[in-house]
Amino acid sequence: MALIAIIDDDPDILDASSLVLKSKGYDVVTASNPTDGFKIITERKPSLIILDVMMDEPDDGFFLAQKLRRENIQTPILMYTSVSKAIGMDFNKSEMVPVDDFVEKPISPDELVAKVEALLNKVGEKK
Amino acid sequence: MAVEVKKVCILIVDDEKGLRIGAQRLLEDEGYEVETADCGEEGIRIGKSKEFDVAIIDLKMPDIDGLEVLKEIKGAFPNTICFIATAYASYDTAIQSTRLGAYGYIPKPFTPEELIYQVELGVKQRQLIVEALRLKQEREEQLLELASEKSRLNTIIKAISDGVLVINKNIELVYFNYAALRFLNIQNVKIGQKVDEKLPPQISEIIEKIINKDKILLKTYTTQIEILPNNELIIEAACTPVPNPDGSLAGVVIILSNVTQFKKIELIKNQFVSMVAHELKTPLAAVQGFINIILDDSLNVDREKQKEYLERSTIRLKSLKDLVNDLLDISRMELKTKQREIEDVNIIETLKSTLQFLEFELKKKEISVDTNIQENLPTIKADVSEITRLFTNLISNAIKYNKESGSIYIIAHQENNYVCIKIRDTGIGMKPEEKDRLFSEFYRAKNEKTRGISGTGLGLSIVKKIVESYYGKIEVESVFGYGTTFTIHLPINQN
Repeated sequence: MALIAIIDDDPDILDASSLVLKSKGYDVVTASNPTDGFKIITERKPSLIILDVMMDEPDDGFFLAQKLRRENIQTPILMYTSVSKAIGMDFNKSEMVPVDDFVEKPISPDELVAKVEALLNKVGEKK
Repeated sequence: MAVEVKKVCILIVDDEKGLRIGAQRLLEDEGYEVETADCGEEGIRIGKSKEFDVAIIDLKMPDIDGLEVLKEIKGAFPNTICFIATAYASYDTAIQSTRLGAYGYIPKPFTPEELIYQVELGVKQRQLIVEALRLKQEREEQLLELASEKSRLNTIIKAISDGVLVINKNIELVYFNYAALRFLNIQNVKIGQKVDEKLPPQISEIIEKIINKDKILLKTYTTQIEILPNNELIIEAACTPVPNPDGSLAGVVIILSNVTQFKKIELIKNQFVSMVAHELKTPLAAVQGFINIILDDSLNVDREKQKEYLERSTIRLKSLKDLVNDLLDISRMELKTKQREIEDVNIIETLKSTLQFLEFELKKKEISVDTNIQENLPTIKADVSEITRLFTNLISNAIKYNKESGSIYIIAHQENNYVCIKIRDTGIGMKPEEKDRLFSEFYRAKNEKTRGISGTGLGLSIVKKIVESYYGKIEVESVFGYGTTFTIHLPINQN
């Protein structure tokens, strides 16, 4: 089964997401900050990255996503957001935010699994 | 009540006693008030002593010539109607007396009817003159009032800080004050000039709309315009049609007010609201995530795991509750609605009770507390709950960010008019860039050493607000990896 990396500074979200994905048979690696996140991605080469926006971090989730693309790591990124609706911010796929899809927190297990499967299938088709 | 009508006053100047008395009696019978003078000198004296309505002056008198008397009286009261009475009526004297201001002359001898007729003419003339004078004076007063009203209005409009601009329906400038030019950032305009090119397009559009309406609606149209970029000057323009008395459009009055500060506050408020929303949503998302997992039967979460997730949810909900309480405190402090109970606060006792309150946290991390407090430290005038809150926030930070088995030193002493309190920990310290943002709302130092430390991000911003509300000051020194010291000065003499 595919390996999925989850990077989020909220340990509760990390555990909950891991549990959902593991129960569907995925292998999961986690990191709680962008620096460790970059490390596990380059070392473990996951098939999919779930990345939180991590607004509080000096180098936030967007920054890590851009860094990955600059390093030519094209692994699909599913971005976790918790504030977009609250502050009327609309994220869209763009140069600034090189991610493949968004999941609004709180996570719903069904939606998370559906989005993960869809992204993995897309990559599979390309290959 | 009888209306008091002022009697018409007549002066008779004549050296002939019989004529003088006869005329007086005759005129008094007609209802006039009559005074007499028996020579020219006396005539001048009486005639100048008050304003007579009519004067009848004999031309030939032994002492002074009647024309001289006429000249003197006319000089003093130009509106007294004067007749020259003479037996030597000649063309020359008629001209001369008229030139000197006589209304007419009465040839002697005259019949009573002639006299009365002439006097009546004179009185009528006098009434006309008086009435004309009164009207003239009234009009002058009104004009003066109008002029001063206009200049008063001008002064008021020029003095108000809002901009005022009036244009006619050809979009020509009718009136402006200097605030208007300043707000619109325009120079060199003149009354009568067409200004559609000079006005911001948002205002021109509204004016166009008002002018092109078939019917005048007495409605104010407003718009906000950024005049200088980067929110440096934002104005609100309120455009109202000005109707003519017949209801047609005369022009438009535009009131401009500077709303830059409001806009800035709005921006800060919006930023704060998004920060609060983010902070509130984060724990909610975690709790909701756990509940979703527990409710999802397909995930088969075992009982033990379920219990763990519920416990972790409880911790997140407690932090959410703390956050809401902190937010309420901040909002109360900013609104100044918090009822304060100012009393003499004993710093030593307050510190002691705070340390007791935090005993559990201190023991959990095995942190020792050393105090060095000056004896007889003066009390300060303050609300004890706020000072307790201040110490609680600082000491619980000193525990949270301390290392295991670390120490906290608390020093308190008097420094001039201040009580100086230092709280030092042997914790993880701060990097300089973290120190700069320390007191901002929701800022929490994030680095490899702060992981797992929870907090609302409002504790120190509350501390700062409390200290500043008592006109004190707070300073922080920190060495990354070695510890942090907070120093507070609170004034002793509080009114």
